[in-house]
Amino acid sequence: MQTATPQPQNQPRAAQKAASLRIALVLLSIAAVFFGGVILAQYSGAPGVGIGVLGFAILGFLLVAIGRNLRK
Amino acid sequence: MSSIPHHQGPGHAIDDAHAHDEHAHHPGGIMRWITTTNHKDIGTLYLWFSFIMFIAGGCLALTIRTELFHPGLQIVDPEFFNSLTTLHGLIMIFGAIMPAAVGFANWQVPLMIGAPDMAFARMNNWSFWLLPFAAVLLFASFFVPGGAAAGGWTLYAPLSVQAGMGMDLTIFAIHIMGASSIMGSINIITTILNLRAPGMTMMKMPLFVWTWLITAYLLIAVMPVLAGAVTMLLTDRHFGTSFFNAAGGGDPVMFQHIFWFFGHPEVYIMILPSFGIVSTILPAFSRKPLFGYASMVYATSSIAILSFIVWAHHMFTVGMPAAGQLFFMYATMLIAVPTGVKVFNWVTTMWKGSMTFETPMLFAIGFIFLFTMGGFTGLVLAITPVDIQLQDTYYVVAHFHYVLVAGSLFAFFGGVYYWLPKWSGRMYNEKLGEWHFWLTMIFFNVTFFPMHFLGLAGMPRRVPDYATQFTDWNMVATIGAYGFGLSQLLFFYIVLSCIRSGPPAPAKPWEGADTLEWTLPSPLPYHTFETPPAIK
Repeated sequence: MQTATPQPQNQPRAAQKAASLRIALVLLSIAAVFFGGVILAQYSGAPGVGIGVLGFAILGFLLVAIGRNLRK
Repeated sequence: MSSIPHHQGPGHAIDDAHAHDEHAHHPGGIMRWITTTNHKDIGTLYLWFSFIMFIAGGCLALTIRTELFHPGLQIVDPEFFNSLTTLHGLIMIFGAIMPAAVGFANWQVPLMIGAPDMAFARMNNWSFWLLPFAAVLLFASFFVPGGAAAGGWTLYAPLSVQAGMGMDLTIFAIHIMGASSIMGSINIITTILNLRAPGMTMMKMPLFVWTWLITAYLLIAVMPVLAGAVTMLLTDRHFGTSFFNAAGGGDPVMFQHIFWFFGHPEVYIMILPSFGIVSTILPAFSRKPLFGYASMVYATSSIAILSFIVWAHHMFTVGMPAAGQLFFMYATMLIAVPTGVKVFNWVTTMWKGSMTFETPMLFAIGFIFLFTMGGFTGLVLAITPVDIQLQDTYYVVAHFHYVLVAGSLFAFFGGVYYWLPKWSGRMYNEKLGEWHFWLTMIFFNVTFFPMHFLGLAGMPRRVPDYATQFTDWNMVATIGAYGFGLSQLLFFYIVLSCIRSGPPAPAKPWEGADTLEWTLPSPLPYHTFETPPAIK
């Protein structure tokens, strides 16, 4: 049984909002890459474009994530 | 379910801060529902919307079944029949099942993780209110020149490139519903990652929350792909491009690849939340913790990942190299492993439990039984040479209705019965609930089990007429469909009578329930967990 007792908030509301916004923007950018990527891949007609978009997206998000943590 | 009272009920468990609920300022009447940013209100809106769409899609299905009662053309012409099958699929998938799952997420995710609401409350409102407009577009397509889309819910090119104005409305509706889904998914992921109560670590989250987290990631990945595909379809139709138009150098088969890259994960988008609901109900009525919690999380993740590499099993007859057929066959069969882990864990959760069989438990067990059958026929269809024989027959129709009706829908019924006392503060009529289960169970099988025989005998799907040797089982299926449809009116009556005049529900009506929402009073206050609870 999970039990619960009221606790003071451990994260200020503004900081929590900013963190939520960051997560949302990352997720939105992933959706945008998939949307644009599939059209770009078909538009260019080159078979490597689709996998290229996906590869750059994965590497790009990875680099941004690592970079943000390195700054901390 | 329809209304959250503004005052506290008895049994107030943990949070005196809710006392100010009585002073909560929000509009009443219709404006409450239009402007609401409360996750419970929005969850209610999603669930009622999905029920209305379920009834509408069901009416289309009954028209289909009525036409198929006898061989020959009876009540609709073939073109309209194709529109019926197309819109039935689109409405049930995008209008009924997915919004229902989001409705459960809206209600339960914040409550189960100790969050006060969804992370983006206004966006949550917008996510919902896009849906009725998409639904209107879909239904309006019946009345435009050329009629509604008639190429099947898969919208395959080149049929969809050549279709009338109804296809444009369908494409626009899909764009809107896709945007709604993506916004909803962003909201759910952010809520789960960022708004969990102190002490609610990821591996303490209820399995329903886990399944929705994974589902939301799937949605983020594949809904934009579908949006991209229908956008290209739109430009092929109106702006002179030739993405899928062979006459202009395009590739119609590529549409199928892109569509199924979305379409197969979509199957899991529809079923994973149901897994979460069943994984919540079974331990409660077995009075035992869920067996193999961690393995359930890993199995769900594995299913989600594998769902990205099996899409071409929908396209074995299109033509592909033998190596491709083998890859997609074995990858598809591999999904049976994590799915088997889940079924094993569900059964083992019940093993030697102090089980009782209230309506939610009946639906959960019904789900396991029928979903497993649907899973097995899926394995049959995964075998390439068998699939080539059964492609586009009623065997496929039987398979995916066992997975999506007996899977998703049974779990949703179970979920409604399980949480309705908490949502509404009132108990439903248990006897009628059990009647609803048994009628649904019996008529579901009367409807869809004969379709296996029809498919094996070679009856093609999406046809308004058929050879006379298929008549008997088609008659049985149609009678079953009417029974199944009428049984759902009983569900409507049970829910309505519960909300209006059911006896008051205690804070925790189910002895074995152990998730966070049951620490709150019934009915739930309008605002919950404004002060985050600490989880021990």
